[in-house]
Amino acid sequence: MKRFAADLHVHTALSPCADDALTPPAVVLAAMDAGLDLIAICDHNTAGNAAAVQEVADGPGEGRVAVIPGIEITTAEEVHVVALFPDTATAAAAAAAVLAGLPSYEAGARRLGRQLLMNGDGDIVGEESKMLSAASLFPLAQAVAYVHRCGGLAIAAHVDRPSFSVCGQLGFFPPDVRFDAIEISAAGHDQGRDAEFRVLGLPLIFASDSHSLDEIGATRSYFELEAPDFHGLARALRNAGGRTYGIA
Amino acid sequence: MNLKEVMDKLGLELLTPELPPDPAREVAGAYVSDLLSDVLAHGPEDGLLVTVQVHMNVVAVSVHAGLAGVIFAMGRRPEDSVRAKAVEEGVTLFASNESAFDVVGRLYALGLRGSRA
Repeated sequence: MKRFAADLHVHTALSPCADDALTPPAVVLAAMDAGLDLIAICDHNTAGNAAAVQEVADGPGEGRVAVIPGIEITTAEEVHVVALFPDTATAAAAAAAVLAGLPSYEAGARRLGRQLLMNGDGDIVGEESKMLSAASLFPLAQAVAYVHRCGGLAIAAHVDRPSFSVCGQLGFFPPDVRFDAIEISAAGHDQGRDAEFRVLGLPLIFASDSHSLDEIGATRSYFELEAPDFHGLARALRNAGGRTYGIA
Repeated sequence: MNLKEVMDKLGLELLTPELPPDPAREVAGAYVSDLLSDVLAHGPEDGLLVTVQVHMNVVAVSVHAGLAGVIFAMGRRPEDSVRAKAVEEGVTLFASNESAFDVVGRLYALGLRGSRA
């Protein structure tokens, strides 16, 4: 077992609210510069750039970072769920299911920012026309169950925030929804907000939810893993109990 | 119908006195929703939003949708940081002690109309 630095919530230029400079090569370089061993790519309701980021990360070069493909799913209640998948094909299939149920809201899509699909060279290869920040058709419990059926991990995103979080949208933490972990945001970390979520008995992680290059790795968690990959992470979280994966 | 008339007729409390409602600014319509992605998609430009959500993203979505102002219903009030951001972004904020249902009813009676899917 070895200690690995992970930022499990990173956006790319595909997310409308994220910086267009978040190209696959730029994201990988920023993660390496930040000393991360593992990142998860989680754009809103899509995994359209995850394979390109993984392709860059798997390319030649010393000390490359490992990439887990993911989706930040917006549930019907507007709760954000970070879904992580074992491989890009599974992530793409799950993303297709989420996108199929997303209202198109094309006018809304134009209001927030560009939604750039990119290849491993950082070239723009397309633009998503649906409004990716819209609420999907999946209610929270079904979204989490679906992620599990795909063999993925479901993490309650930025639970300390009033917006787009489990408690912010629902007013309570539903005990029957089987999250694999709870994510505390950068601000929540600084304010020690993790303390109030320990009672849930789920692993607590910190992640950046970075929407720009300089945020990548600024908030992170350290995991004791056999290897910095999805399966190592999944085993660690399942055996973690109520452990907090701190910054130190 | 302008913002000042809406404020006066509904007896709204102005939360952003730094942005006095401009009588020359016509209100184009109104929308009621607490689902912010829905507001982003359907909130009318130069219109009003009625909501019980009081967090920072309400201001962000209002800016992106080009809303003239937001009415917080049911006595809800945003934190001062949210208020300050709204002033900076030019989004006028109002508070009402009435429910969203009643606020919307009054806006409709004044002649304002909503968006269509």
